Amino acid sequence: MDLFINLAHGFSVALSPMNLLFCLIGALVGTLIGVLPGVGPVATIAMLLPITFGLPPVGALIMLAGIYYGAQYGGSTTSILVNIPGEASSVVTTLDGHQMARQGRAGPALAIAAIGSFIAGCVSTVLVAAVGAPLTKLALLFGPAEYFSLMVLGLVFAVVLAKGSVIKAVAMIMLGLLLSMVGSDIETGQSRMAFDVPELSDGIGFVVVAMGVFGFAEIIRNLENQSEETRSIVTSKVTGLMPTWPDLKASAGAITRGTIIGSILGILPGGGAVIAAFAAYTFEKKVSKDPSRFGRGAIEGVAAPESANNAAAQTSFIPLLTLGIPPNAVMALMVGAMTIHGIVPGPQVMTKQPDLFWGMIASMWLGNLMLVVINLPLVGVWVKLLQVPYRMMFPAILIFCNIGNYSINNAPFDVGMTAVFALVGYWLLKLDFEPAPMLLGFVLGPLMEENLRRAMLIARGDPMTFLYRPISATLLAIAVFLLVLAVLPMIRSKRDVVFVEGET
Amino acid sequence: MSDGIQAPSGRSGGFRIRNQQDFYGGLVLVAVAAFALWASRDLPGMRGFAFGPGTAPRIFASILGALGLIVAVGGLVTDGPPVERVAVRGTALGAVLIAIFILVSNYATPITAGLGLRQYETVLAAIVVLLVTIAIARGADRGPLYVVAGTLVFAGTIRPLGLVLASFISIVVCAAATVEVRWRETILWAAGLTIFCALLFVYALNLPFNFWPRF
Repeated sequence: MDLFINLAHGFSVALSPMNLLFCLIGALVGTLIGVLPGVGPVATIAMLLPITFGLPPVGALIMLAGIYYGAQYGGSTTSILVNIPGEASSVVTTLDGHQMARQGRAGPALAIAAIGSFIAGCVSTVLVAAVGAPLTKLALLFGPAEYFSLMVLGLVFAVVLAKGSVIKAVAMIMLGLLLSMVGSDIETGQSRMAFDVPELSDGIGFVVVAMGVFGFAEIIRNLENQSEETRSIVTSKVTGLMPTWPDLKASAGAITRGTIIGSILGILPGGGAVIAAFAAYTFEKKVSKDPSRFGRGAIEGVAAPESANNAAAQTSFIPLLTLGIPPNAVMALMVGAMTIHGIVPGPQVMTKQPDLFWGMIASMWLGNLMLVVINLPLVGVWVKLLQVPYRMMFPAILIFCNIGNYSINNAPFDVGMTAVFALVGYWLLKLDFEPAPMLLGFVLGPLMEENLRRAMLIARGDPMTFLYRPISATLLAIAVFLLVLAVLPMIRSKRDVVFVEGET
Repeated sequence: MSDGIQAPSGRSGGFRIRNQQDFYGGLVLVAVAAFALWASRDLPGMRGFAFGPGTAPRIFASILGALGLIVAVGGLVTDGPPVERVAVRGTALGAVLIAIFILVSNYATPITAGLGLRQYETVLAAIVVLLVTIAIARGADRGPLYVVAGTLVFAGTIRPLGLVLASFISIVVCAAATVEVRWRETILWAAGLTIFCALLFVYALNLPFNFWPRF
């Protein structure tokens, strides 16, 4: 059984005291930041990315993964206690979670969210490990043309599953691709669109874009709505943490279904975790004997979406680790982190850096365990943190961002550029253009261009190569099919805006 | 998108932009695409089978421009919410602040050198930006403007003035982004945060920062 040998190797890496510590710090800090209302996983990771630069690559990625789960988990804590979802994927949790908290059952709600997440985490970790190896083999068959088509498919998925207008989302991807072209050309080294600004010759920093468009822009928007914001913090002591036996029995099915839905949807590119949570909640309501309980504090309404979003968070690592293609904005940040550490994400990671690959998978499970063991007792601390007024919180967030951002290259220029992207992001939010596809395009840009150029060179300049090669043609066909599927209802009538993929 | 929807006509205004968000957003995208095409005009394109450095940017810019046009035209024939005034003013004035910062830090070298302070032009730029911000930021514009100003102040001061001063000033400026600001609390909070940042980034994370100003 290769799988178990590999997993055992992974655990031996992840259980080393240093990596255990990184995982712990990541989970804690992730929760700490993720608890802040309006700061989701993308903003959290963008903010904390710089502090992982000094670490060895394996440790850094383990810590980032920990930050990711922590932020996810922190988001549900705020949803339940304050009725403000920390991130898009825990929007559904507010529906029943906050109602439970109001009925004095915040403890069981938090506990079941943690338990559900943990169980989902265990299952999906095994899934990542099991699917990882075969998918990697498949990926090795891929040439440049296939890679290019796969990335096109990934981007199309992101567009189709995102909210609102398909055309606007595609336009955002193009904007991201274009931004990624700034700087030196990969092959000739010629400076492109850099206007002889020396700081731009290496291109626009990835953290700069992510921080500005997600972190800063979000803060500016929060500042506008602040006075109207009504926070109903459940201040009463969170007592009776443990769910009762009927609670557990009621949630068992919900957790199982949530895990399955989440695992499947997580692999698909797009807003995996967000859609998973919505889908799991809707499904749970459908199969329930008494759907009217939902929205009034049904524990299944917490268990299902929380398991689903965690499962999806985990399985969204599959396309990243095996194919090197980030399925969503969080994974795009992970690509950025890997690149900074000199790791090229893709199938070769598993063969060339087994420590990293399996260590990270093992640490996923450990991270989930830590969240259950550490965070439940710390609920009181998180509640305290939520009582810090926003007027004190946002300058703190901004200064951490600025210092962290400066520390990456010791470049004041990067800090200034973040201000530019803060305005760009704010403008996009106000005009209802989604920033997530832009970030995805920005990250995939260099890879896409490289593969496109190589494929064209191999095919002696014949663009039909993408259609002659069977795998590539299939991928493109699926992409076109999905696009048509998404555009058709929009032309016929207005498309229902079901999923709000804010991501932060 | 030619879905045959007729714009309501005969009203007093006649022509009306029905979805301002999409219309202006689309136009901005077209402008960005045009700018990118102009910026990459000198880059060589295809040479035989091979892509040149300019090929991919031109392809993506062209698609962006076309999509922007579609979005803008769509904004004429479908309904949508109007663009908020705050967004327009806040972003425009924020862009002005950034322009001021760039201009002053690039062209003020003779002034600061004359004062005997080398490499202080960015500090001067930060001061100018701050003064302009105080002069123009009103009401709902405070958010975008002070956040941008605080960030630019940090960018301008971190090298010459060191981590402690840069953080402190930047935190105070950022804090002014909300009308709820309470000055005494802000000063104390900024001091506390500065100490925390210094300990975290310099001691715990071992990053190479100057603590204090260099002269």
